[in-house]
Amino acid sequence: METKGDGGVPSPFLPRMRPVASSGPRYREARYAYATVLPVVLLVALFTLYPFAFALVTSLREVVLYKPWSQPFVGLKNYLDVVRSEFFSTSWQHTLTFVAGAVPLATLLGFGVAHLLNARTALTPFLNVTILLPWAIPTVISGIIWAWIFNSSYGAFNGALYSLGLIDSYLPWLSRPRSALLCVLFAHVWKEVPLTSILYLAALQAIPEELYDAARVDGAGAPAVLRRITVPLVLPTTLIIVVYETMVGIVTFDLLYVMTGGGPAGATSLISYYLYNSMFVAFNFGQGAALAVLLAIALVAFIALYLRLLRSEEIYVT
Amino acid sequence: MCTRRIAVVALLVALTLTGSAAFGAAPVQLTFTVWSYSTDVILDNIKKFEAANPGIKVGLQDFAWEKYVDVMTARFVGKTPTDLAYSSDHWLQQWAAANWIVPLDDYFPQVKAYKPDFAPYATEGMTYRGKLYGLPYYADTIIFIYNEEMLKRAGFSTPPATWDDVTKMALAMKEKKIVEYPIMFQFQDITPWYIEVFLSMVYSYKDYRMFDDGLNPTYDREGSAAHKVAQWLVDGMRKHKITNPASLETTEIPLVKAMGAGQVAFAVLPKYNLADLNTPGAHAQAGKFKFALMPGESHGTVGFVRFYAMTKMAADRGTAAREAAWKFLEYFGGRTGTEFVVVKRWALDKGLGFAQLPLYKDAQIRAAINKWGNVTLEEQQSKLARAKEALTPFWGSWSLEFQKEMNKALLGQKSALDALKASAAKWKEMKK
Repeated sequence: METKGDGGVPSPFLPRMRPVASSGPRYREARYAYATVLPVVLLVALFTLYPFAFALVTSLREVVLYKPWSQPFVGLKNYLDVVRSEFFSTSWQHTLTFVAGAVPLATLLGFGVAHLLNARTALTPFLNVTILLPWAIPTVISGIIWAWIFNSSYGAFNGALYSLGLIDSYLPWLSRPRSALLCVLFAHVWKEVPLTSILYLAALQAIPEELYDAARVDGAGAPAVLRRITVPLVLPTTLIIVVYETMVGIVTFDLLYVMTGGGPAGATSLISYYLYNSMFVAFNFGQGAALAVLLAIALVAFIALYLRLLRSEEIYVT
Repeated sequence: MCTRRIAVVALLVALTLTGSAAFGAAPVQLTFTVWSYSTDVILDNIKKFEAANPGIKVGLQDFAWEKYVDVMTARFVGKTPTDLAYSSDHWLQQWAAANWIVPLDDYFPQVKAYKPDFAPYATEGMTYRGKLYGLPYYADTIIFIYNEEMLKRAGFSTPPATWDDVTKMALAMKEKKIVEYPIMFQFQDITPWYIEVFLSMVYSYKDYRMFDDGLNPTYDREGSAAHKVAQWLVDGMRKHKITNPASLETTEIPLVKAMGAGQVAFAVLPKYNLADLNTPGAHAQAGKFKFALMPGESHGTVGFVRFYAMTKMAADRGTAAREAAWKFLEYFGGRTGTEFVVVKRWALDKGLGFAQLPLYKDAQIRAAINKWGNVTLEEQQSKLARAKEALTPFWGSWSLEFQKEMNKALLGQKSALDALKASAAKWKEMKK
């Protein structure tokens, strides 16, 4: 029985068929695909969308834990209170300083270490394992270790400087605002470099050797090879590293909590610390949630900025 | 058919009842959270409690002191099963206002009988809106500890009586190169002892009050006791250089270790540290430490109390859990028979102070305290102790702001008075 007239136009005299039936296998395929991803989508929704929505709702209410009987809707008051507070500007200042130091250092050092590991010497297998050690140590433990190292009474750092004759007496590195931030930064970079170097190592090992051979035949020196071949080809990895390290830098908390407690005088209180204070010290979950939402927006803005600045395909073209 | 079914059901019920009777009802399980301090002793106390109360099992969970409040907040908010917990006068207002812990008077009226036994500052520290929230784990005072040998080497035979004396003696020690920085504090931004130490120094003045009756701050006025203390601290660090600048990164244990190693001559610490400092073999300078009444005009100090509290979660579990909780509370913070068994053990084994005043008459206790301290002086200091004033639900968050502002003054970023004014402004903001 014909179902269509000439030219594929449905005949008004024939019973109208449901479009579903005409694309049955495709529909089944789509249904299968949706069914397959649904559990994952639900899990993601449960663990990301729901908390985010909950935080958003909380940020619009006055939620103070020791006033459980009253949680009125306050609109954007929490956001305004957070933005107007003195701590907001100072903690962002500290955070941006920290990130401005941590991201380039972790990226460049990771790139350098990856080059060393890529040299394939007899020590390479051993170095591959040892380089990962700082990354494998829990952050709180590494915080304690670094707090000991920089301790003003018995720290190894002071001991080394003293033995070398560089200082006359032990210095309180963690009791001075600038040096305390530098100490935390140092510990953070130490912890992060293994990951960035492993990522770079994978990227370096994926570059075809033929490209380097061709460059050498053309008479390119090491700097030219680095600039024209290596750097452009590891750019996607660089983008991932920069985005990741920025996020990690902005939300760093455990290391500074263990090493300095945010001090001295709030000098190492990053934005994450302000968030912690709002929620777990002041018990003001409304303000804490507002701050968390602002932090999420800032992170998205940073990522968008990086994606725009480091669009790898454009660089490949040039 | 029907008769057979009834017979089977009856048999099952009978078997269940017989089984319960034979094997006893399932024990009541209690979860008890503490901060990490002598967990071996706590576990041993629990073992003895369980032996005396076969129907109760206690699971212990311990967390670092510095992180205890955060962990407990997360547990309460997340409703992690917790029946009994160490608490403190520091956090009572917050925990009670949030309904995380419950007043013992409401569930166990018999607790009132204990009140006359407790030191007044301890009772005050465990009371919120007229109700008692706990039985004391320990209660103690903040005291002034000094290294007697260092003091003698500097040419002094008696301890300092005023804060000016402390400066004078510290300068003499520095001049004679006995120690570079004779004084050290635990002034890391977030350490909970910071505010207690500061207040102890404030309470050593006659006009010690920080707040008026309406809970408005008065401590930010020029010439107040708090101003005198803040200025003394700033001068010690920046002008006389007698206070170790590393105080700003220091917490309790590193300070005690530095003192024990002979790097510090004067410190203001919770009293129980004196027992540790004078324990033979525990520190290089063990045996050389003494305590004096808090230097100042009135020699007053802060008295604080840490106590066993019952959570709302336990209260909501029903009669069996509540009864078990009371047995636990009474065993640990009250009397077993006629004695405060656990409290006495802490005092004898670890030198912890106590709120239970009848224990001062105990010969064993008196002898034990005199081994590392001075029981007469301890009693005298206890009588001069005061509970912290204005313990509001936001006291904890204000104290952190206070500490941060004070550290700005110690770093020379602002004057002592400006630091006090900034923290007073925070108080007013929070009070709204």
